[in-house]
Amino acid sequence: MYNFEFVQPGSVADAASAMAGEDAQALGGGQTLLPTMKQRLASPATLVSLTGIADMKGVSAADGVLTIGGATTHATVASEAAGSFPGLAGLASHIGDPAVRNRGTIGGSLANNDPAACYPAAALGTGATIVTNTREIAADDYFQGMFSTALDEGEIITSVRLPIPQASNYQKFVQPASRFALVGVFVAKYADGVRVAVTGASEEGVHRWTAAEEALSANFSASAIEGLSVAADGMINDLHGTGAYRAHLVGVMTKRAVAAAS
Amino acid sequence: MSVAKPLPHDAARLHVTGQARYVDDIPTAAGALHLAFGCSKVAHGTLQSLDLAAVRAAPGVVDVLTAADLPFANDVSPSAHDEPLLATDSVHYVGQPLFCVIATSHLAARRAAGLGTAKIEPLPPIFDVETALAQNSRFEDGPRIYERGQANTALETAPIRLSGQMEIGGQEHFYLESQAALAVPGEDGDVLVHSSTQHPTEIQHKVAEALGVPMHAVRVETRRMGGGFGGKESQGNALAVACAIAAMRTGRPCKMRYDRDDDMVITGKRHDFRITYDVGFDATGVITALDVRHDTRCGWAQDLSLPVADRAMLHADNAYFIPNMRVESHRLKTNMQSATAFRGFGGPQGMLGMERIVDHVAGHLGLDPMAVRERNFYATGAAAPPQSTHYGQEVDDFILPGLIAQLKDSADYDARRAQVDAWNAEHDVLKKGIALTPVKFGISFTLTHLNQAGALVHVYQDGSIHLNHGGTEMGQGLFQKVAQVAADRFGVPMAAVKITATDTAKVPNTSATAASSGSDLNGMAVRIACDKIRNRMAAHLAELHQCNVAQIRFEDGYVITPAQSYTFAEAANLTYVGRVGLSATGFYKTPDIRWDRIKGEGRPFFYFAYGAAISEVVIDTLTGENRILRTDILHDAGASLNPALDKGQVEGGFVQGAGWLTMEELVWDDAGRLRTHAPSTYKIPAASDAPDIFNVALWDGENRADTIYKSKAVGEPPFMLGMSAFFALSHAVSACGPDYPDLQAPATPEEVLASIARAKGV
Ligand SMILES: Cc1cc2nc3c(=O)[nH]c(=O)nc-3n(C[C@H](O)[C@H](O)[C@H](O)COP(=O)(O)OP(=O)(O)OC[C@H]3O[C@@H](n4cnc5c(N)ncnc54)[C@H](O)[C@@H]3O)c2cc1C
Repeated sequence: MYNFEFVQPGSVADAASAMAGEDAQALGGGQTLLPTMKQRLASPATLVSLTGIADMKGVSAADGVLTIGGATTHATVASEAAGSFPGLAGLASHIGDPAVRNRGTIGGSLANNDPAACYPAAALGTGATIVTNTREIAADDYFQGMFSTALDEGEIITSVRLPIPQASNYQKFVQPASRFALVGVFVAKYADGVRVAVTGASEEGVHRWTAAEEALSANFSASAIEGLSVAADGMINDLHGTGAYRAHLVGVMTKRAVAAAS
Repeated sequence: MSVAKPLPHDAARLHVTGQARYVDDIPTAAGALHLAFGCSKVAHGTLQSLDLAAVRAAPGVVDVLTAADLPFANDVSPSAHDEPLLATDSVHYVGQPLFCVIATSHLAARRAAGLGTAKIEPLPPIFDVETALAQNSRFEDGPRIYERGQANTALETAPIRLSGQMEIGGQEHFYLESQAALAVPGEDGDVLVHSSTQHPTEIQHKVAEALGVPMHAVRVETRRMGGGFGGKESQGNALAVACAIAAMRTGRPCKMRYDRDDDMVITGKRHDFRITYDVGFDATGVITALDVRHDTRCGWAQDLSLPVADRAMLHADNAYFIPNMRVESHRLKTNMQSATAFRGFGGPQGMLGMERIVDHVAGHLGLDPMAVRERNFYATGAAAPPQSTHYGQEVDDFILPGLIAQLKDSADYDARRAQVDAWNAEHDVLKKGIALTPVKFGISFTLTHLNQAGALVHVYQDGSIHLNHGGTEMGQGLFQKVAQVAADRFGVPMAAVKITATDTAKVPNTSATAASSGSDLNGMAVRIACDKIRNRMAAHLAELHQCNVAQIRFEDGYVITPAQSYTFAEAANLTYVGRVGLSATGFYKTPDIRWDRIKGEGRPFFYFAYGAAISEVVIDTLTGENRILRTDILHDAGASLNPALDKGQVEGGFVQGAGWLTMEELVWDDAGRLRTHAPSTYKIPAASDAPDIFNVALWDGENRADTIYKSKAVGEPPFMLGMSAFFALSHAVSACGPDYPDLQAPATPEEVLASIARAKGV
């Protein structure tokens, strides 16, 4: 790790101005960023910690929308969303291990957009709105391929607004060594239709499975997608699994998610 | 009696409180330096030049060594002299050490090592079996062949004939403590090396060669390892030699420990194998002929590959008498880490091949594999004369039928197999499987001269006892078992015996703590040393009391003569005052073994250790996910020296064996880079992967061979009990369709899913 300055502003405005400095970078729980810095793959001059900003923390439900502060930890979401949005709480409660869940934040996860991360599937699967210090971005526009998002330099995710579905569930097939998603599928059922988002599988990062969405919108049961299959083309083919295996798992995980949705 | 007691590990308290000292915990004098290797990024090529300017200029760097800087021998191989410490003109795998950084801290050394660049003219690498065979890239001139009977003619006349092939993956040792060494320079060219090694004498030998000094100038001490599993039999040489050279060069203590990633990339692993077979049998499953071929990738250097591959051949029968049997073994030289010793030492691969053949035969005949196993077991009982293995050793201690009957009974095998079949008939998505697999494992080093051990025992005038022997402690509990022997010989409580670090200055010319032989060899050597002292004490007291030596007893902390009892301390003091020596060495060699590895003939093993396991598993046929639901084990440790420690070995061995066959997967990319070099990519079983129901018992019987208190070696044999999980998976998959599942190892979820498709014939 190289030397860096550390600031911990108390407001989004202060954070935004600190982020304007040269080579400043936001720090959430540090679960991704600090290991990257230790390996000297990142060398920010200033770390702007967001965890001291009270406005960016907490979970609240109103008018059918769950709002989560950008600096809210996975553990907080797991406990506080359990009543209002169990599908999301379930997802949060299976990220990493307790240490990761008590430090890692939703903002950090979405900003990072790791192709094997869990939260991107929930954001895309609910059609969430990513709220930043400057604007609001629809999830469909936000994710732009592995590790790439619509965020501008210095932009801070202050909160995420997720429409609460009638029923939802996230199924993760873990890569057994790291417990990241080899394939993860988030299914959410709304009055006007079903959304299905897939993480872990594709070289394009998190994406929607529209064929399944159509079938499930007509008939929300696992049997509705019986005949559907996902092509192995464009699926990640790596040491943990072939593209064909991942493509197969997308179907199985989707059915499991539908069957388990509540 | 201190033997046969389930005492805890002698260092258990130190382990759990973090006080147990490993090499990296040893306080060093001020000014100690730290080492790291700079390694090849190319799998095969000609080393043209090294640019180390940036390395030398990096903060904290004191010196950088290349092959040209080495004072004497540049070799860290265990025997074949084909493993330079630092590469000279050619490189043979990604991870091969090219240069060595000496710096003021571990991190500084590691960081600087990353700054070196090597100019390497690439040569075509050899990674796979086919290429190695096509280019005749191998160790030894050609294959080794062991044969009994006429396999090929018997195959032609066999009523039924089947052939098949199985890939068996390698395995990373994943000892918790990575490789480590510390060298402290002494006066007049002497050096003291602390090494995390299973083989202190080899470290001493290699360091002496590298420094150009006699072995007497090098002392190696090993208190304990944080796990070895065979991975510290030869792989510690490079660190110890590098530290010793650096210490002599700088005059400062030098330490090296591999970071986990470096450890996985640099050091050798379990040999992977391809087993190809042609088997002849009759309709009842009696196997009459077998021709089996082993192809193993040994990596770039010979290391211990010949005896490993030999042992695979010696276990290619597992527990079965096959009248016509031929084993052909190819030891291939490839541009990868040099595969090395790993618990079982090739035995597991050979044995797994045979169990796979039995499973295939049973699948073909539609029989319970257990029925086929029983039909082919070696003969046993008074009525049947012992049968010989394919290498000519009589199996005269075959206890498996009785052991298995007891296990089947306690685990309710027959009923549960029927229940599994009934359950499968009713369930489509989940399928269960159950399998019983036996183990027969030969005990002794196949290199006969290694079957020797020494001990050094002192009794001090206060009655306390200093115990030393050539075995090393790696968590297995050897020191405690041997201390129990010493306490028993003197009739004293355990607290009277001080367990001390293995030290080449106390006991010379030792063998590696390997081949499961630690307790057998060192226990005997210690017994002999203790008995010498005890007999001297008894003789002295007999003379004092004018009684017969045979009348003197050593019991419960007392030495009892017909006239008077003394505390052991009083007796020791009397003996000392009587000017009788209270220190003795003990030496033991295993009797009754001989072996010709070229002919494949002899009696390489002093005896066999046995065991059997029943595992029940469930698979998800949609994803291939699987779990072990229950495992029952009955294992033969003879008359156990310590049932608690032995059970621990059995449990750990099973879990490690099941991990090898179900989840641990090594992946190299097309450039020969190991992609699984950390716990984030390489999955070993955790506590939660052990079966929920896990019943482990020791067989109640004594060793027929004359071993220490009639116990049996227990280090390696239980590893192979893990096979039961693999064949239970095969059984579960076979419930998915009519064809033989042809399951390959490791049976990861993706492999299980693929084998389900094979069973369905799609
Ligand atoms: C052992 C382990 C296991 C894990 N397992 C899982 C898993 O199963 N599933 C899963 O999804 N993830 C997993 N993770 C990843 C973990 O969830 C992420 O590290 C975490 O979500 C990132 O959040 P953070 O707050 O720690 O971000 P940081 O590491 O602090 O930052 C990550 C990136 O986001 C930026 N950033 C942080 N906060 C904001 C913000 N509010 N606005 C804009 N940019 C921001 C930072 O500048 C940085 O670029 C695991 C991590 C570890 C270490």
